[in-house]
Amino acid sequence: MSACARAITAEEAAFRIDYPLAYGRDTGVIAFDRVAEEAVRQVADNPWGKAHFYTASLESDELISLNGERRDMRSEIEHSDSVIMVATNAILGDAVAEVGAICRELSIMTAGLLLLEDGDLTGKTLMAIRPYARILLVPADREDLFQLLTAIRA
Amino acid sequence: MLRPDINDLLTQTGPGTPMGDLFRRYWQPVLHTDELPEDGCPPVRVKLLSERLIAVRTPEGEYGLMDEFCAHRGISLFFGRVENEGIRCPYHGWKYNANGQAIDVPSELNNSEFCKNVKLRSYPLVKVGDILWAYLGDPEKQPPLPTWEFATVPERQTYTSKRLQECNWLQALEGGIDSSHVTWLHGGGPSGHGLEADPLFAGSKGNQYNKNDVKPFFEVVENEGGLLIGARRNAEDGNYYWRVTPWVLPNFTMVPPRGDHPVHGHFWVPIDDENCWAWSFDYHPTRDLTETEVDAMKAGAGVHSKNIPGTYLPVANKDNDYLIDREKQKAGILFSGVEGIAIQDSSLQESMGPVVDRTKERLVATDAGIIKARQKLRRAVEALRDNGTEPVGNVPEHQKIRSVAIVLPADRPFVEGIGDGFLAREGVGQTTV
Repeated sequence: MSACARAITAEEAAFRIDYPLAYGRDTGVIAFDRVAEEAVRQVADNPWGKAHFYTASLESDELISLNGERRDMRSEIEHSDSVIMVATNAILGDAVAEVGAICRELSIMTAGLLLLEDGDLTGKTLMAIRPYARILLVPADREDLFQLLTAIRA
Repeated sequence: MLRPDINDLLTQTGPGTPMGDLFRRYWQPVLHTDELPEDGCPPVRVKLLSERLIAVRTPEGEYGLMDEFCAHRGISLFFGRVENEGIRCPYHGWKYNANGQAIDVPSELNNSEFCKNVKLRSYPLVKVGDILWAYLGDPEKQPPLPTWEFATVPERQTYTSKRLQECNWLQALEGGIDSSHVTWLHGGGPSGHGLEADPLFAGSKGNQYNKNDVKPFFEVVENEGGLLIGARRNAEDGNYYWRVTPWVLPNFTMVPPRGDHPVHGHFWVPIDDENCWAWSFDYHPTRDLTETEVDAMKAGAGVHSKNIPGTYLPVANKDNDYLIDREKQKAGILFSGVEGIAIQDSSLQESMGPVVDRTKERLVATDAGIIKARQKLRRAVEALRDNGTEPVGNVPEHQKIRSVAIVLPADRPFVEGIGDGFLAREGVGQTTV
């Protein structure tokens, strides 16, 4: 029997090394408008390992934690493995661009979720986030955010 | 990662399982028409969704798909004798028509009365295109016949093959959705020869876009029948080159076209929980396939495989380590060392084991398409199980779909830019680059 034929049996699968996996991804989740913030707050209210949640600020160079603290944007992002951007048509485009630029500079993986709870997607919304999200879900819902964070072990 | 119970929910398709119930709302491809080539030909054993069945074509030309085993003593009807109106068990002569109804039980004195009470479970088996399709669900919920474009264009415009893949259906499907592996496994990485070496892909401008930009961005868009997975790369003048893969629930995917080559795609059909059929098709919406193209498909080029004659088992398979060529792998001629797109996929997907343990996965954000697809499957399964909600994808409006390759301005949503390009329309060519 060939090596492959032996290796792919259910019996051999049982011999795969079994050890607990560490939490995978240090993940920043950023809401870029009010509706997105509601969704992020809802999802944040679950036990996560290395996920940290923010809302975007009208002020440049800062993010706001969900308990209202103003934080330096770069300091909060730079240790992340990935950043998930959550937005609706009310997206704060300038803030997305700022976050996106930092992620690009630091080679941090990005994903975007457009919730569209406030109507159809507009070109303006799309263009605000498209250049910065390596993968974009259109439309996404709150469950998508939960599932994405779960799947990447955030 | 997935919880073990969700992994079981999505991967188990036998009778009485929630995913099995979902699959039993769809017509599934079962046999090539040439597997039952003529009236009165020998029967064929079929295993589908963990049910063992026998397919027959009576001397009158009627197709039938029924329980493989005789109701009397459990003999496989594979050994049966096809006779007028049905098939007769060779053990004691019980005879069934194409619907599994016993029509002759020679040992019974009151033969006709006894027959009425003996019926094998049977399912409709119909010919659409060059495929026989089966529906294993509730007769009252039977959807319209399949209307996929590859199965409804004239015969000279389409070619279909199938191969055994020895792993759970979901592993195979996820390969069809996961566009990010194409650059590496099939494209050969940044220096790869990959697609240009295949006669069914060579020469399209899209190959150059693929090669010039090996880190595509992705957009996953909700569609009525499933998802549209768009991979975007940089093109000239600030435009984007888009390749859009449709997935229609539960197990249909299409590959974006390249130039005027035929368009291809797949059905990933569960045989049981540890094996599936990879059906692969190539068709052109507006012209006949050329002899050269069909020869290439038969030789295993493109999405097809070279199979052991008389079987659907690929020549390169797990028993010979997929004929991996380490020298070609080292030289970068074949990135994985395995020849052909189909076997490149199956070698890796089978290597995961019969049913991969998704609790061990380390997914990343760019796997969001797969994560979304699993979520949609789960929702469809739970909605059917808990509320009886009919799933999408089994009606003509969801099946008349095409994959697309296109160059668009950077600020256009691809759905808007492509528009009717997603619709299968008679006499209208595919949208392609």
